[in-house]
Amino acid sequence: MPGKGLIVRQRSLIAITAALAAGALTLTACGSRDEGGSGGSDNGGGTTVVIGVDAPLTGDLTALGLGIKNSVDLAVKTANKDKYVDGVTFEIQALDDQGQPSSGQQNATKLVADEKVLGVVGPLNSSVAESMQKVFDDAKLVEVSPANTNPALTQGPDWQTKKERVYDSYFRTATTDAIQGPFAAQYVYNDAKKKKVFVIDDKKTYGAGLASTFTAEFKELGGEVAGTEHVNPDTKDFSAVVTKIKNSDADVVYYGGEYPVAGPLSKQIKKAGKDIPLVGGDGIYSADFIKLAGTEGTGDLATSVGAPVEDLPSAKEFVANYEAEGYKEAYEAYGGYSYDSAWAIIEAVKKVVEDNDGKLPDDARAKVTEAMQNVSFDGVTGKVSFDEFGDATNKQLTVYSVEGGQWKPVKSGTYTG
Amino acid sequence: MSGVGPVEPGEGTRARDTGSGSPPVPGSSRARLAALYTRHRRAVLAGAAAAVLLAGGGYLYATREQEPDPPRVVPSQLVRVTYLGAEHTPPSAPARSFSFAVQLTARPGPAVTVTRISQPYAAVSLSSAPRPPFPAKVGFAHKIVITMHVTNCSQVPGNAGLPFLDVTLRNKFAIQNHSFLLGDRYAQDVSEAVRGLCVNAIKSSPKP
Repeated sequence: MPGKGLIVRQRSLIAITAALAAGALTLTACGSRDEGGSGGSDNGGGTTVVIGVDAPLTGDLTALGLGIKNSVDLAVKTANKDKYVDGVTFEIQALDDQGQPSSGQQNATKLVADEKVLGVVGPLNSSVAESMQKVFDDAKLVEVSPANTNPALTQGPDWQTKKERVYDSYFRTATTDAIQGPFAAQYVYNDAKKKKVFVIDDKKTYGAGLASTFTAEFKELGGEVAGTEHVNPDTKDFSAVVTKIKNSDADVVYYGGEYPVAGPLSKQIKKAGKDIPLVGGDGIYSADFIKLAGTEGTGDLATSVGAPVEDLPSAKEFVANYEAEGYKEAYEAYGGYSYDSAWAIIEAVKKVVEDNDGKLPDDARAKVTEAMQNVSFDGVTGKVSFDEFGDATNKQLTVYSVEGGQWKPVKSGTYTG
Repeated sequence: MSGVGPVEPGEGTRARDTGSGSPPVPGSSRARLAALYTRHRRAVLAGAAAAVLLAGGGYLYATREQEPDPPRVVPSQLVRVTYLGAEHTPPSAPARSFSFAVQLTARPGPAVTVTRISQPYAAVSLSSAPRPPFPAKVGFAHKIVITMHVTNCSQVPGNAGLPFLDVTLRNKFAIQNHSFLLGDRYAQDVSEAVRGLCVNAIKSSPKP
């Protein structure tokens, strides 16, 4: 039979357990009424801040556009999970511009009209950005593009002779074609040892601009231009251009434009019997290029912004988190930059809230735009901060080659000028 | 029964024995072991205690919480090279040479060694001081004086906008030939130097 001491200990144990259970039940009942998460406009006394996204979510460039949208979504989910900004829950509002400037402008107006929007990530296309910048700037709504590379967007229309910032509300995390074009030219001429280029572009802001900076540097190095042509990106039959390339003495083709044209163009050039590589910029750096070009794309080259993912521990973490979230589409070329663009907005909001006793001021948009200029953090793509023009201070580029059905990095560079 | 007390083992009997209920036969190995134990009981017990401690300590060491492996950081992400400006060309340099200085800095991380410095133009050769290989010390601004010798004026670009400086870097994770694009001032200084050295043989015209 147990002794008296043991009975007393058992009763005490029962009493303590009962008290703890009662306490736990009480706390549960008093838990938050509304989980909030990344949805809902009322999270129990907190504030909802919306980060807009503008990208081609449908149409030819959807692969790149959805990578942008998903990556911003991941950043917002992460900020909410970590309760990164006290009292603030972030949401995203993603709008489709289909790569069209007119749609982009309409989306800009719509985002400006929603007071909860304090920053926008996008767009993808430089031509679309041209139609959106003034709309955002008039509303002092900050815009951070992960992908625009035309230099004029930050450095003004006369950037080659006199750099001048036009829009204080426009920033970008990707570097520009002022560097990307010459970077490609140096690699093609010196490393790939190609001396005669046939240059093609799609006449759009990005493609024509990139082809121009590439060609200028290629010629300065001593290269020759064997021919030039423009293509309509809406057509898929390039037989006329292919014939001209075949009849030229070009040993390389440079294409300024995006993968929906570049893939089939590369395939048709090789099938016509001209076995020379096609080289392009970040607009062709997509898994879809390889699908469209087929095996004929082997040996083609693309430059893209940033260092290869395998070189950045922060990028590997992003890749793992992106996969864990289960997005159907790949993050593609601008995933990391999109995450960093969104995080830059989150950091700017955090600063504004902290400087205003824990809440958003009445002129939140203007304050967030101001704060963006001084944002600095270690992001997915490396250090994220902006210079006096709104350009990224971290300027890295990589050349990729199609090998074994994949893009493989072959050369990386860092611009430190 | 009462008052008798517990039964003491009598002569020829023993306390319970796990091997068998009967005492060891004199002269058997069991008897020898038993005698050994009796004579050296303290040493045996001390030895057994030490063995248990060693085994326990070994187990704890093997299952200790280990420091995570350091992240894989490749050398190009740790090193930065920036342009400092033109330098006096060493008197020992061959004719048609020009010099400039760059600064190399390294962030904390897996130690980096600079194993080679080069440039991509076929008509230019390059030497540097210090000469690689040398370690890229963290927190130290290495000044490297680069001397470029133009070997064929008709083959050298006179106005390139983005000349590369290729630096081969090594750490325990990778060997990389990384290009540093030193910017407009570097490009202009190189172009001016080349034009000055190759007045009659430049291929391209000056920028507007």
